[in-house]
Amino acid sequence: MVPTLNPIDLVARINRDVERSLLRARNGVRYVRGTHRPKVGATPKEVVWRRGKAELWRYRNGTVRYGPPVVIVHSLVSRSYILDLRPGNSLVEYLTAAGLDVFMLDWGVPDELDADNDLERYVDFYIPRALAAARRETGQPEVTLAGYCLGGVMAALYAAAHEDAPVRNLILMATPLDFDEMGAMVALLREGRLNPDELIDDTGNVPADALYSGFYMLAPTTEVAQKATLLEHLWDDEFVEGFQAMAQWARDHVPFPGAAFRQLSELFVRQNVLTTGSMRLGDRRVDLANARGNVLNAMAERDNVVPPAAVEPVMRLVGDPARREELRLPGGHVTFGTGRGARKVTMPRMAEWIIAHSDELAEPEE
Amino acid sequence: MPANQPLWLKAVHRLERAIGEPVEAAVRTDTYFDAVTKINRVRRKAGGVVEGVSRRVWHTLNLPAGTDVRRMREQLARVERRVTQLSEEVSEVTDDDGRRSRVG
Repeated sequence: MVPTLNPIDLVARINRDVERSLLRARNGVRYVRGTHRPKVGATPKEVVWRRGKAELWRYRNGTVRYGPPVVIVHSLVSRSYILDLRPGNSLVEYLTAAGLDVFMLDWGVPDELDADNDLERYVDFYIPRALAAARRETGQPEVTLAGYCLGGVMAALYAAAHEDAPVRNLILMATPLDFDEMGAMVALLREGRLNPDELIDDTGNVPADALYSGFYMLAPTTEVAQKATLLEHLWDDEFVEGFQAMAQWARDHVPFPGAAFRQLSELFVRQNVLTTGSMRLGDRRVDLANARGNVLNAMAERDNVVPPAAVEPVMRLVGDPARREELRLPGGHVTFGTGRGARKVTMPRMAEWIIAHSDELAEPEE
Repeated sequence: MPANQPLWLKAVHRLERAIGEPVEAAVRTDTYFDAVTKINRVRRKAGGVVEGVSRRVWHTLNLPAGTDVRRMREQLARVERRVTQLSEEVSEVTDDDGRRSRVG
């Protein structure tokens, strides 16, 4: 039977379609002109520590009711604003609104001066100093250390390598340990293919473009479907803003410091050392089982950048087996920062776990 | 795929998957990775040849070539890294790393 439409509904529908067409035209022009770009990383923050290009930001967004502070160590390949993408869709905003004291260790944009930065530099120099600054700022003796992607690898190595690491909780978000499971992302670096030095440019770093190409080639045609979806929702300001913010982040990679890249290629990709549970760092052997604190291994089930299979070994290798927990989340690699699933599932469950492993402060701090 | 999507959008998504899936499978094959490796090497080699020729031309005119500028930049970066390292050592001694500033 053909559904009948009464005249009032018909007029309402025509009105809606005309209105949407006008909004589509306006937003389309704005999109093409590149004006009205969304503000990313908008949660108020201040720099509390700085060394070279590394900065530690403290977010200010309401009353701090729980301790220890949460220090997020970001990855080396992308921009940290993915975890604070835009108001209403930000892990940082969510955690701070829940009463947590959140810090971000951001690596900036590496250039020639950072070409010598190796893993030791991050794990033994920057992270300990940034954590000392966070403790000094908050007066708390410990921290909840959270690492995203490669930031998680560095956080785990730090927590395992330093006997005095003040880590009450260690959260690893999409943190790869088994690089044999990383698939296309690292396939070019396997033995017999590209030498890491062939990807390093005159600045001594892997250029951001090379990293972007690597991510782009994981799904080269999806942009067409995304653009079509944008066209359909072009009337919706919020959708367009979210789309633009995400598209900006997806293209906004940073150069990868050459020295760390050589180590990543040789140790993580070719030797896959992290799956043995230990590796040489500087002049000593680091055993991941020695990582301090309660360990939360958070992974995204549809992550095509760091697939769950690459993350799963955390559950048998990092920290004390009795203090390990796993959190499987719906969504892809960016579910830690944005998306419908992030707001509904990831952010509440992350906040819940952190609060359950924190103390309520006797005197909440404004 | 949400049920309330218009037909044209469903069709675009289906078409994208129909093309995308084989493309994604292709760019995960050893053949593709080997081809990218070879292309990268050829490109670098070609770049090296062009650079060598242009260097000789510039040097004939007694002018610095791009490679000279690059070498100079590398040396400067090395010096700057050393200076940074020394200033960090000084900071360690004076414990001067608590600078604050509002950024957002």
